[in-house]
Amino acid sequence: MVRHDVVVVGAGLAGMRAAIEASRYGVDVGVVSKLHPTRSHSGAAEGGINAALGNAGEDSPEKHTFFTVKGSDYLGDQDAIAVMCAEGPGDIYELEHMGAIFSRMDDGRIAQRPFGAGGAPRTCYAADITGHVLLHVLYEQLVKSGVTVYEEWFALDLVTDGERCVGVTAWDLVRGGVQGVEASAVILATGGLGRMYRGTTNAYACTGDGMSMAWRAGVPLKDMEFMQFHPTTLKANGVLITEGCRGEGGYLRNAEGDRFMFNYAPNAGELASRDVVSRSEQTEIDEGRGVDGCVLLDLTHLGAKRINERLHGSRELAMDYAGVDPIEEPIPVRPGAHYHMGGIDTDVWGHTIMPGLYAAGECACVSVHGANRLGGNSLLETVVFGRRAGAAAAQDVRRDGMGGVFSPSAVRVTERAIQRMLDVNQGERPYVLRQELADVMYDNAGIFRTAEKLETCKAQVAELRERYARGLVVHDKGRTFNSDLIQAIELGSMLQMADCLVTGAIARTESRGAHSRLDFPDRDDENWLRHTLAWYDDGEVELGYKPVTITEYEPAVRTY
Amino acid sequence: MHVTLKIQRYNPETEEQSLETYSVEMNEEATLLDTLDAVKDQVDGSLSYRKSCRMAVCGSCGMRIDGAAVLACKTPMKPIVESGEVPVISPMGNLPVIKDLVVDMAPFWAKFRAVKPYLEEDENPPVKEWRVQQEELDRVMTEALCIQCGCCVSECNSMESDPDFLGPAALAKAARFVYDVRDRGGKERLELYNGPHGVWDCTRCYFCNQRCPKGVHPRDAIAKVGAAIYQAGMHSDPGARHAKVFVKSTHKTGYLLETNLVPETVGAINAIKDIPFALKLARAGKVPNPLRPHSANKLDEVRKLHKLIEAQEQAAYAEGTAGPRRPPEEAQAKESE
Repeated sequence: MVRHDVVVVGAGLAGMRAAIEASRYGVDVGVVSKLHPTRSHSGAAEGGINAALGNAGEDSPEKHTFFTVKGSDYLGDQDAIAVMCAEGPGDIYELEHMGAIFSRMDDGRIAQRPFGAGGAPRTCYAADITGHVLLHVLYEQLVKSGVTVYEEWFALDLVTDGERCVGVTAWDLVRGGVQGVEASAVILATGGLGRMYRGTTNAYACTGDGMSMAWRAGVPLKDMEFMQFHPTTLKANGVLITEGCRGEGGYLRNAEGDRFMFNYAPNAGELASRDVVSRSEQTEIDEGRGVDGCVLLDLTHLGAKRINERLHGSRELAMDYAGVDPIEEPIPVRPGAHYHMGGIDTDVWGHTIMPGLYAAGECACVSVHGANRLGGNSLLETVVFGRRAGAAAAQDVRRDGMGGVFSPSAVRVTERAIQRMLDVNQGERPYVLRQELADVMYDNAGIFRTAEKLETCKAQVAELRERYARGLVVHDKGRTFNSDLIQAIELGSMLQMADCLVTGAIARTESRGAHSRLDFPDRDDENWLRHTLAWYDDGEVELGYKPVTITEYEPAVRTY
Repeated sequence: MHVTLKIQRYNPETEEQSLETYSVEMNEEATLLDTLDAVKDQVDGSLSYRKSCRMAVCGSCGMRIDGAAVLACKTPMKPIVESGEVPVISPMGNLPVIKDLVVDMAPFWAKFRAVKPYLEEDENPPVKEWRVQQEELDRVMTEALCIQCGCCVSECNSMESDPDFLGPAALAKAARFVYDVRDRGGKERLELYNGPHGVWDCTRCYFCNQRCPKGVHPRDAIAKVGAAIYQAGMHSDPGARHAKVFVKSTHKTGYLLETNLVPETVGAINAIKDIPFALKLARAGKVPNPLRPHSANKLDEVRKLHKLIEAQEQAAYAEGTAGPRRPPEEAQAKESE
């Protein structure tokens, strides 16, 4: 049993930023993460981070706010978006002072390039390894801060005293065994859930654990039906090729060599928002103008020098995982599940409805992305709202003191649940269900959705949840580095989150942002300009709704 | 395609060790990591290894294939299958094994922490960003590519004989700050890398450069840190003195004067202890005549090279420690204060 004033679960950008901020307030901070911090998936972000610095062209936080609101298809909360866009520049300068290596303009200021549907060159970048650079800078700062990190501790359940969150239980992966982690405040920063889809850019670790923990503890999840499909992912393994390729002037072509995007987005072309580009690509592929299930991302006209300077990482990925050198030939790409807009319902300070529980980053839904996130806004969200959640948690702890009582029986309950999993010797292996889930989700809750497909999906997810409940066989019965056990637990989280996602999607009878219903092709502001809430109801998903915050910008028709 | 591989297994709870052979059916694009996943899913779920991003950026899946460190996710199996080779997969070297292919990274991160792995910030930063030229950042960009996977450490010859050697990953991290114009670490920072187990303990085998999956070139980074220490006038460490003898004697004769190497590195008194060893060498004909040192023909060419390198190192050091520039408007305001 360990205790800290503030415990952060997850150590990607949002988690580390929260921990660093909380420690600045003089409270005792601990970080629990199933991966070593630098292994987090934030490091795979490539293209950049948005902030209205105005270095490369006229820009302002207001303009950034407007284009983010429009990009969200008006589902984003405008007060939250305004906060993010106003505070963004300060966070970028802070990261720069910490040592982040941002690419530069000739006069030594931070360089910025245009990203899809942004309306200005606003994306700061470190070549095409921005996430990697920021992740390592924040880890450096975490080391400097002296915060205690419990590496490779897999958080299992939130512990509450009936009212407040008082900590978590965690499985110590290296040594084995359930540990109690007592806290006055818990910040969830556990990232996304893309692994429930077959074609995804996400790491193996992105299994929605934190969202699932919150949901089971009675905290609502918001807008779970909104899954973003990134337009440029590699066919073989879903690896991301950055939007920066198009930001630097890359073309999308179909089998006939046409730059088809202008048929769908006459003004923005390749730099329309991600939902628009992914749907356009899928339409080209479905109508027979694809190349082996892909379209082509053509960078050849950019020349070797520019590709090597600005898109070196993408070139390496294309060569390693598609066998294609983008200097010589176009890269076959297709849409892949990339970013989950929904998550744990929070306010602009990361508070959830449960006292003592906060959330930030992809696992949270503030909501700044609404129905569709703009490229470059997720990294910004992690640092702005990570910082805010860290500050709020620390201040609340300083004001309110210890919080509730962590009952040691919580550890025993979790320990018994794990033992039950290890005791199963007959039945299915987890990977069978994992693969079925990924196929079911990609085929039925993907880019284009219909009531029929979604109902099929819901039924199949329910069936998978039943099979899961019957017990799966974990081969590894040992305690030391039992990743077989962890993967089985992760599967459980994914099944629950898939249920939340598809249940929300069935109910939302409109098309908005990334949620595209062929049977309801139009946006329906009258009925659906509202957030979906998914509540836990004895293992099942219970839907509720709440209004969208609209301040400056009345919903308008969204074209690019 | 049909993939067969041998995996070195180790179960710490039973202390059993074995080399197991596995065969799985894979598609043509499969990497080593995909293959391990298939083995774990379908054959034996108790096989342990680390993984996460599967795109060579998270640094989790360092391991050895036929004795050479690689990232499993960056290693395609097709060429190996076509060659008919049955590879042996084993954990990384120089780090204690926890289970199967999982090593204990704690010693690795302890060294990371020992090099002050963060920017020593100016106390009074500008309101906006520091003005830094792209070329100045490019100087540390190679080291900034490091994903801390440990492949270099796995292969480090020096660490094999001195487990306390800071090693290639930590010293590459050091170089990343030494040459960052924004860093205020100064000589205090360099002192961390100059002592025992520091840069001078590298044996220059270049295995780290060869095995790094991200092109970080840790050995080159170590050389850069050494050059900075040298340029800062910190010559007292035997390692630095040893390097200095090389410079001095090649400058004088174009060759290395082996007989001067020991006394000038460790001092005359300590060198006396090595006389019996020197005599042994002499009897074996391994000691050149100290009274008639050989000299190169085109000494001026050697000296030109010296000058060139010296100037390059001086310039790099001067630029790397020049300090960053404030935005012009702020710089003016500061001056008029």
